[in-house]
Amino acid sequence: MEAEFDVGIIGGGPAGSVAAAYLAKAGLKVAVFESENFPREHVGESLVPATTPVLLEIGAMEKVEAAGFPKKYGAAWTSAEHRDIDHMGFRGLEHDFRAAEILFNERDQPGVDRDHTFHVDRGKFDLILLKHAEELGAQVFQGVHVTRSDIADDGVTLHVRVGGRQVEVPVRMVVDASGRRTQLGAQLKLKISDPVFNQYAVHTWFDNFDRTALAVDDAKADYIFIHFLPVTDTWVWQIPITDTITSVGVVSQKKRFKEYGGDRERFFWETVGSRPELLDALKNSDQVRPLKTEGDYSYGMRQICGDRFVLIGDAARFVDPIFSSGVSVAMNSARIACGDIVAAAQAGDYSKERFAGYERTLRRGVSNWYEFISIYYRLNILFTAFVQDERYRLDVLKMLQGDVYEDDEPKALAAMREIVKVVEDDPTHLWHPYLGSLKSPSAKPTF
Amino acid sequence: MALDAEQIYTELRAYVSTNFLEGGEVEELNRDTPLLEWGVLNSMNTSILMSHIRDRFGVDVPPMYITGTRFRDLGAITEMVHELSLQAA
Repeated sequence: MEAEFDVGIIGGGPAGSVAAAYLAKAGLKVAVFESENFPREHVGESLVPATTPVLLEIGAMEKVEAAGFPKKYGAAWTSAEHRDIDHMGFRGLEHDFRAAEILFNERDQPGVDRDHTFHVDRGKFDLILLKHAEELGAQVFQGVHVTRSDIADDGVTLHVRVGGRQVEVPVRMVVDASGRRTQLGAQLKLKISDPVFNQYAVHTWFDNFDRTALAVDDAKADYIFIHFLPVTDTWVWQIPITDTITSVGVVSQKKRFKEYGGDRERFFWETVGSRPELLDALKNSDQVRPLKTEGDYSYGMRQICGDRFVLIGDAARFVDPIFSSGVSVAMNSARIACGDIVAAAQAGDYSKERFAGYERTLRRGVSNWYEFISIYYRLNILFTAFVQDERYRLDVLKMLQGDVYEDDEPKALAAMREIVKVVEDDPTHLWHPYLGSLKSPSAKPTF
Repeated sequence: MALDAEQIYTELRAYVSTNFLEGGEVEELNRDTPLLEWGVLNSMNTSILMSHIRDRFGVDVPPMYITGTRFRDLGAITEMVHELSLQAA
């Protein structure tokens, strides 16, 4: 069957739209098959600056700036530090040190021309990107569902459900950008769940939430805030969506959620209740959406490319949202993969070897992210120490900016790994009581 | 040049009382004051103190030194910094 498109993309989120934009710009014939009708709600609302070069390159930055999303200049972390004690007039005095914060423009980042990134309403943001891809020449089909991809030597047949009908669309290669649905990974049985991370999120939007309630410095109230709770491996995100609307989500171990018998209301409110000042601020605001859950948190793929297929974004890998990496990985994996796809199309050869560069670069980036996140959960006090240590601050910031694809291993990671080992091995170490329960055995990607 | 232990103690004491005690009840702070037990040094300001030790004395406290014994009180911290400064010299 003659191919109707060079590339068929499953999914029109940021990974799919960005891939479509790059491929259309390069003159390829590309189609995007999105199962929902945009705009639709989506979790993952905070970006990192590594998205900036991609938005500039595909020409979408102007539209994103014009949308008026809250600008994100940095990130801040707060913790409860309940373990401090008062004695004889001496106080733990951690007020100034309770919080750690970082400003993105403390470090120059290649390809980044501004001091901010954005917090976005994903309904609006994803629609902007999808329409942009369409304007660049991609064919976009919404409300259609790719149910299966038949990969053969001479091409790929996508089976697409449109209304009640099943349609076959022949393409030269397929890009899976289906997100956490992992359409192709599931079909080809490539998916493996993460042995370490088994987190769960419950989230919603609040109107009139006082963002300064837990901020040490009110001027930074529009940063993303990560609030640690005095509950093992549990934290809350606070992300500005508009002037008055704030996204709030609790991330915790799935087994804790199960202890609540799946009662998300009770789970959410009792968990945030462990930080009374947070509970107060939430009680004094108006919840505007029902609570939503995200399960099946972390997984990897045995392969992220093969003859005539590539997996990008969440369809390739998902670890944990603690550093707002999701949209950045989606857009950058699309960018990197498209370099190889365009070259493959020019050569008329879509075999697996053509995507080796993508595989290598993504492996490196994901490996750095994964270890950074693992160490963070294992000993988050260490992260605070490194942010305050001038030898490592910029190195940590580099990871927080999402600039992880070029280096084999940032030096802060090696230093952090060594310290975690020392702390684990010595029960008298001052940080030993702060070890989290998520222990990572090898921390390596599996592709 | 090796640092003088007495001088290290005086400076550390001043730093701890200014930064971790809000200048309150300073006269009670001495060599044996149990900083960890009393919560003066928590995990976070321990790392801040280590940054200060590096900046002021040019001494890196190795990760394996961050223990209850070595950070028990100002006497123990002084001894550790002094010992490390001799190694560095």
